[in-house]
Amino acid sequence: MKKLDRLFENSARSLAKRTSRRSLLASLGQLLTGAALMPLLPIDRTARAQEPARPSPDEQQCEYWKYCAIDGFLCACCGGTSTSCPPGTQSSPITWIGTCHNPADGRDYIVSYNDCCGKVSCGDCFCDRNEGEKPMYRLSRNNDVNWCMANSESNYHCSVSVILGVAEK
Amino acid sequence: MIRAAGVAAALAALAASTANAANPAQDYALNCMGCHGTEARGIPGKVPPLANALSRFMRSPEGRNYVLRVPGAANSALSNEQLAAVLNWLAVTYDSSASATQPAPFTSTEVAAVRHQPLLSVLATRSAVVHNLATTGPSPPPRY
Repeated sequence: MKKLDRLFENSARSLAKRTSRRSLLASLGQLLTGAALMPLLPIDRTARAQEPARPSPDEQQCEYWKYCAIDGFLCACCGGTSTSCPPGTQSSPITWIGTCHNPADGRDYIVSYNDCCGKVSCGDCFCDRNEGEKPMYRLSRNNDVNWCMANSESNYHCSVSVILGVAEK
Repeated sequence: MIRAAGVAAALAALAASTANAANPAQDYALNCMGCHGTEARGIPGKVPPLANALSRFMRSPEGRNYVLRVPGAANSALSNEQLAAVLNWLAVTYDSSASATQPAPFTSTEVAAVRHQPLLSVLATRSAVVHNLATTGPSPPPRY
């Protein structure tokens, strides 16, 4: 036991001869600061950004209430959601506008159907409901239009639906 | 989320319009906003702006005639009363100089009188109207 005590005493004295308390505090401070800054270092997080959006199951069903006036591929099936375009596409600045009845609260909502443009057609979850649309001879109420025509890349990919507000009767 | 600021503006306009019996903000949203945008600014090179333009067209008889005969207005699903209300609402809401140079509002009678006269050359008519307006005060942009 005495040998063990002596061993620790000697090593402690040796350490004390070689270092000071101030340097110990400085080292400890550096360690703590470094640990705190570790999460801020520029780590490549793009892998997570590339993960596809996770739409709800409702958003992938053509019968979903807010799709009542849509005509196109649901972006929720194409790597986006019902309100966001898939990566690599741009939202159209001109849109088809419709009014849909929400059975959950019994109210009508004004919905903007923006096309997502810049890639070839998605091809999944085609949904053609177009309630309220008129034949082609009523052009102002006809939805057989490529709403990507005002985009620099006018390829149509899919459609999103954004609620703008409550419609009055 | 798409154009969050624009959507917020549209929501505010819709909410503000709730108290009105005639609902030009909602009529605009349902019949015009898809192309002209949430703040009526149009799309450069594609869709003409209504903001800071419509009320200036309304300063002259030929400008008023032009506005009522452009395809978007003449062929819209709006009635004469609704079209007049939407145009008047736009002129007041989306023109920074409207308070100083408030044009006479459209009436449904005025809309009905000229709306269905075909406008054969839209761009040429617009150019001539804008040119004349520029000699007497604020005018819409010559190109969009």
